[in-house]
Order: sequence, then C-alpha cells, then structure tokens
Amino acid sequence: MKPTSSSTVSRNSRLKLGAIIVTLAVLIILPLCIDSDYIKHLLIMTCIGAILGMTFSMLYSSGLITLGAAAFYAVGAYTSTMLVTSLGLSFWAALPVTIVISAVLSLGFGAIFVRNAGVAFVIITLIFVQVIVIAAGQIEFLGGWGGIMNIPRPGSLGPVEFVSKRECYYLILMILLLIIIIYNALYSSRIGRAWRAIKLSPNLAGTLGINAYRYRLLAFVIGSTTAALAGSFYAHYFQNITPGAFAGWLSIYVQLYAVLGGLEFYILGPAIGSLIMTFVPEYLRVVKEIEPIITGLLLLVIILFFPGGILGTIKNPPDFSLQRFKSELSKIKIWKMQGGKR
Amino acid sequence: MSPGLFIQLIVNALTIGSIYILMVLGLDIILRGTKILNFAHGQLYMLGAYVLLLFFQTLNLNFALALILSGATLAVVGALSYLGVFAVLSRRFTVSTTFSYRLLLSAMASVGLMMILQQGTLLCFGTQERGILSPFPQIIDVFGVRISLTRVVIIFLSILICIGLFLLMYKTRFGKIMRAVSYDPEAVTLQGINTFWIFVSCFALGSALAGLAGGIIAPLFSVTPAMGQNIIFMSFLVLLVGGIGSYRGTIAGGLLVGLLLSFGFQFMGGIAELFVFILVIVILVFKPGGLLGEANE
Amino acid sequence: MSLLEIHNITKIFGGLIALRDVSFDVNRSEIVGLIGPNGAGKSTLFNIISGFHHPDKGKILYKDVRITGLEIDRIARMGIGRIFQEPTLFMQETVFENVLNGFHRHYREAAWKALLHTPGANREEKNKRDKALEILEFMGLSALRDELAANLPHGWQRVLAIAIALASEPDLLLLDEPVTGMNPSETTSMIEKIRQIRERGVTVLIVEHDMRAVMSLCDRIVVLNLGVKLVEGTPDKIKNDERVIEAYLGKQVL
Repeated sequence: MKPTSSSTVSRNSRLKLGAIIVTLAVLIILPLCIDSDYIKHLLIMTCIGAILGMTFSMLYSSGLITLGAAAFYAVGAYTSTMLVTSLGLSFWAALPVTIVISAVLSLGFGAIFVRNAGVAFVIITLIFVQVIVIAAGQIEFLGGWGGIMNIPRPGSLGPVEFVSKRECYYLILMILLLIIIIYNALYSSRIGRAWRAIKLSPNLAGTLGINAYRYRLLAFVIGSTTAALAGSFYAHYFQNITPGAFAGWLSIYVQLYAVLGGLEFYILGPAIGSLIMTFVPEYLRVVKEIEPIITGLLLLVIILFFPGGILGTIKNPPDFSLQRFKSELSKIKIWKMQGGKR
Repeated sequence: MSPGLFIQLIVNALTIGSIYILMVLGLDIILRGTKILNFAHGQLYMLGAYVLLLFFQTLNLNFALALILSGATLAVVGALSYLGVFAVLSRRFTVSTTFSYRLLLSAMASVGLMMILQQGTLLCFGTQERGILSPFPQIIDVFGVRISLTRVVIIFLSILICIGLFLLMYKTRFGKIMRAVSYDPEAVTLQGINTFWIFVSCFALGSALAGLAGGIIAPLFSVTPAMGQNIIFMSFLVLLVGGIGSYRGTIAGGLLVGLLLSFGFQFMGGIAELFVFILVIVILVFKPGGLLGEANE
Repeated sequence: MSLLEIHNITKIFGGLIALRDVSFDVNRSEIVGLIGPNGAGKSTLFNIISGFHHPDKGKILYKDVRITGLEIDRIARMGIGRIFQEPTLFMQETVFENVLNGFHRHYREAAWKALLHTPGANREEKNKRDKALEILEFMGLSALRDELAANLPHGWQRVLAIAIALASEPDLLLLDEPVTGMNPSETTSMIEKIRQIRERGVTVLIVEHDMRAVMSLCDRIVVLNLGVKLVEGTPDKIKNDERVIEAYLGKQVL
C-alpha cells in the first residue's frame, strides 16, 4: 500500500464529507417529494432493515455470526407494546424502559450464549429466535399467534404528531442516524480495534490481554439493544405485531443485507443491502413461485463470485480476463489444501 | 400411565430419536470434515424421501433395494453440491482467512442451495402430501402391547445403518482418514492423501445419511416438500445438545430429544418443543459446546 | 524469588504423556533456552504457561502468583507475552496496526472517553501510536509499516510477531522458534535483537531448534525429551552432556 500524500487524504475526506451531506439532504427531502404511501412504507422498512443489518455486522466485527437478529427485535416490539397497551405508558416513556429491559435480558442471555464459539453460537441464536417466536405465540397474554393489534402510534412530541407515514419516516431516520453515529464512534475507537483483533485472531488477541468473551458480550448487548429499539419503533409504526413477523426468513435476510452490501462495511453495507433487498423485489414483479429460486441463485452468485458484496466489489473490482479465469479454475483443483487450519 | 402407553411412547421416542441421530450424524460428518454448516441438509432428507417414493412406488422395487438406491442417489447429490458450490467457494480461502468468514460464507451458500432445492422440489412435485403404504403395516403384539411394526423396522434399520457407519469410520482405512481430516487436515495432506476428495466424500456420506433418514421415515409420515424445513431446526438442536464433534454425544442427544418429544407431545402438546429449547439453553449454561462437544473455536 | 517457577508440570493428551513432572525456574533478566527433539513437549509447556492449556498436575508461579488455571488474557495482562510457532498475526491489518494492537492492555483512560474523543484520550492515543512507531523502528520494520501482514515474507512475519508481543510490554517473553525458517543473516540479526530485548529489561524463555542461536544467546538451557526434563545447565555443560547427545540421536547439531 503506497502511503498517500496529505493532499489526497484531505481530498478524500472532503469527498466523503460531501457525499455524506448530499445523502443526508436526499434522505431528508425524499418524503416531501413522494406521494405514494407505499413507497414511504418501503423506505421506513429499509431503515429498519438497515438497523437490523448493522446489529448483525457488529457481532460479525468481533467474529460472531448470529442467525437471531430478529430475536431482540421481537423482544423490543413486544416489550414496548405491553408497556403501552397494558400499563398505559406513552411510547416515549416506554422507550427507555424497553431499552433497559432489553439490555438486561441481552446481558443475561448473552453471558450464556457468547461462551460458545463459532458454529455453536450460530445454532444457539437460531434456536433463540425460534424460542422467542414460539413463546410469543403460546402465551395468550402476549396475544398468542394472532398477535396484538391497534397499537397506538407514538404520542406527539411537541408540535409533531406521528399520524402520517412521513413523520414516522423522520423518526426512524433520526434513530438510524443516531445509531450510525454511535456505531461509527465505536468502530473507530479501541473497542472497535479490539473487536477486529478478536475476529482476526482470538488467540493472538488473548495473548495481548484482550478478553474475547467480554468484548463479544459487549457487541451482543449493544447489537441486541439496538434491535430492540428498532422493534419498539416497528410495533408502534405498524400498529400490529404477530409472532410470525419475526420468524423464519427475517434473520436470514438480515444476514443477506450485510453480505450483499459488503461484509467488511459494517455500517454502509447493511444500509445498501437493505435498500436493494427491500425495493428491488417489488419492482421485479417476479412470479411468486420462482422467487425463492431466484433469491437462492442470487445468493449463490454473490457468495461464489462477489463475496465482497457491492461495496467490496467496487473497492476491489475483479478483472474479467481469461487469465484470471484460468487461475481461479486451477485453485479449485485437486492439489490445493482446502479447509486449512483456522 | 398404563405400561402399554409407556412402551408405546418409548418406541415412539426411539423412532424419532433414530431419525434425528441419522440426520445429525450426517450433519456432523460434513461439519467436522469440511467445517461447513450445511443448511440444505433438511432438503437432502426430503429428497431422500421423494427418491424412495420414486424407486419404491413408481418403479415398484423392493423396499430395501429402494432404500439403498435412495441413499446412493443422495450421496451423488451431496457430492455434486460440494463440487458445484462449496469447492468453488473454497478457492477464495487461504490460510489467513478467518474462521468466521469461512463459516459465514459457506453457511450462506448452503442457504442459497437450500432455497433452490426447496422451491425446486415444490415446483416439481406440488404441495400435496404423498404417502406410501408401509411395506410393514402389521401391528405386532409384545406382551399385550400393540406396537406398529413399521416403527420397529425403522429403529432396526437405523441401528443397522449406525453400525455400518461405525464400522466404516473406525475399521476401514477410508474411515480413519476421514476422521483424521477433521482433526488435522494438514497432517493428512502431508501423508500424500488428497484432502479434496475426502471433502467430497464427507459430503457424499453425510448427504447419504440424510437421504436414508428421509427414505426410512417415508412409510411412517407423509412426504411433503415442507419435510426439510421442519426437520432441520430440531436437527441443529440435537447437534447442539449432543455437542459438535462427538458421535456418542449425537446419539445421546438424539435419544434424549426423542424421549422429550415423545413424552412431551403426549402430555403437553405443542409446548413440548419449547421444552427442548429450554433444555438446550440449560445444558449450554453448564457445558458450553454441548454435552460432549468441544467449546473452543 | 524467580520470575517464573515451574513446579512438577504434568500434561496428558488422550493417552499421550506430553509432559511429565517438569520443573525449572527462570530468573529475571535471564535468557533461558528450552530445547529437545520434536515431540519433547516444548510447545505444550509454552501453551500451559500462557494459559492455552491447563496442566493435569503441578503449578506455575509467576511473580509468586499462581497462574496455572487462569485465563489467557489474564495471564497476558500480568506481563507474559508470547509468539506462536505458526504465523499468528492479524493478517488483514497493516504492520503498524498489528503492533498498535499490542498496546491494548495499557490504556489508562476509560473507554467511553475514547468514544467521545476527549483531549486526554486523544493524547493517550497519540502516545500509543508514537510508541508503536518506536517499536517498529527498534525491530527494523519502519519501512514496512503500511504493508499488510499477510503479504510479508516469512522472516519478516516472525519479526512482526515479536514486535507485537513487545508492544504489550511484557516482563517475560516466550519465544516459540523465533528463527526457524530464517536464513543465516536474518538469524544473526534476530539473535542480536533478542539480546537487545533482554537489555530493555525483558526476561526471555526461548524454544529453538537452531543450536547456533541457542548456544550464543542463552544463559541457561533446559533440555526436554519425550516430556521429561533431561538436564539443565549452561551451554557448555549441555553441549557435552551425553544424555543430550543421545537424545538427539547423534545428529550433528551441537
């Protein structure tokens, strides 16, 4: 890597700043230009998806892969709903309570889960989200399988009333931006460096005094609490929650956002992935039946040929020469020691 | 609870348990050999059932022969899926690739495979449930307790397959190499053995086990495209309960879960599954990595 | 009081006795060598000292505190650093970033202050970065500072591993085959570096097969064979010991 001169560095950061300002401007002006409620809904779901994707990436940044991103998303949704509908709290009063409850729960469960490495952790998180879904379905108090309806929108905050989708959009946008700022601060601090060290080599990090368990637990708690925050927004925006909304494919799609956007881009990756996965299927009008096949194929193509995701491929564009094709082919061949040491 | 009911529940537990044991042994072989968590494993189970349907019902072959053929077919399918997907993926992995990256990408690739296989089967065969008339429809009478012969045969066949598997893994050179690969792939390569084909074999063997499980269970339960999705979940659970990397743990885990589900459904209904999940979490508190598994990365 | 006291360490893997009743001490500012044929148990002993394995019998005292049974990171924070036999680096980071990671346990300012970029936290960060550069300078890695660890040739990777371990400012440094795989000139540089490391006040315990390095560097040598300590003493004494020569099966290594 050639060292860049200081003028290029400052030009890069000015470009970055410019891009950020433009994007922010677009995001803010967008709902004013769009009339369709449906598109506003998609934008809101994109924001939620982006947040969930970022929680996945945070765990990934420390080397853990979760299949249960939806778990605390559900916990947040149900907790806030219960606080508001059963205890009569306002959305704004319930919010900090939900956050605290989720933090405590994620600390408790995380303390058990994070002790397990690699594959075991994947399975545990997969099971955990199922447990939450089934528990919500079986417990009548939580609405059972039919769920809970008529959840009120957030109460007015000063002059702002959250009646239409536009206000809700701005709310989730604020939340998203707040999370981006916090996450970015974390990643560029020594906490982020510790996560990266643990991900790249837990053994080496251990010999440097970094306690992998504690840092991973931290990532788990932060990620889960963030998901819970998104969940409580979702409950009051959509005004209706069912256990089914959090089951099955959601957690897998969350992973897909991160992979599609670019695994190594912990913030921008999930955002782009969520944007694409939310909007593109709507416009492709694919026949319902072959949709999973297309998604499956897409997934395979990305993983096999563009594992860096969209951002990764832009950063390191592959070259499509015959020479590279031949060298790739030879790498699959028989002599190569595959699997390798971890 | 009458002794008759008790016996029937035990038989049921053994039936359920043996299917999970076969499934999870397959998952474990693939996982330990190639470090890939194969989400498409459930679909292989489902395909096993459909292939059995093909050989037994449509082609009217003898049940045992049909079963063997479906196992063989799935072995081929498994090998092809490794060659077509995971081998291509592994070219990107070098010594310095992190474990989490490898795991994530191969797991996601298997998810893609799963979606394709699932929907493909659905489109080919439709959603209707198919059943086959069990070749062993009799009810046998054991000390006054009525037990369906089908279940007994299932248990018997599973035991047979397990014995065969253990003979393969512990008594043949091939088996020893396969086990060695999961401990130290480098050492195996240094011995001049081609690990690439070992990985293909792991996939073939693991997939065959899933296919056999599907074939064996076909006389008992209906064959639907949803089979795969329904079973994969509990299979992962059994894997976790027994511990990754331990055959004995898998058997113990499978039997334990079988007992819990059998007795659980009888007395609790749908919540039985929840109970199993809670059991897993409890086990993990005391023994990270499962009952007999390893906790380290 | 010795810096490190190894008392009767026994470790069995499956049916294999890796270490049996091994005892010796390491005193401050010494360079102690640990040698023996392959399979003698040297790396296992390192793993036990640094906390990767727990012994079946015996205990190890470091600064008079029992460390056997403690977690890896806890032992590291007490001042024991190590390198690994296999190349163990943060492969996808640059040389500079690798070394910077070594300072992790020495941050005094609280983490939340680092998040907010308070002046104190910023000062400390700059301080650590300067120290990292100094270590790069000391180990001769300055020119490679922006190179990815994965792209370094083998010899430089060993150097980097030691640099990272140094950054954690250990009192005891465990070097597992630091010069294995290096050419003679690289080996000579490394020998000199290790002497300088000792001059900086670090005690060194080194496992090596390269006898030239061992003989010229070590104040004392401990010889293991098949998990048992054969003999310990000065290089001269070891060179002429019959048991040692026999253990190496008459190979021309001394």
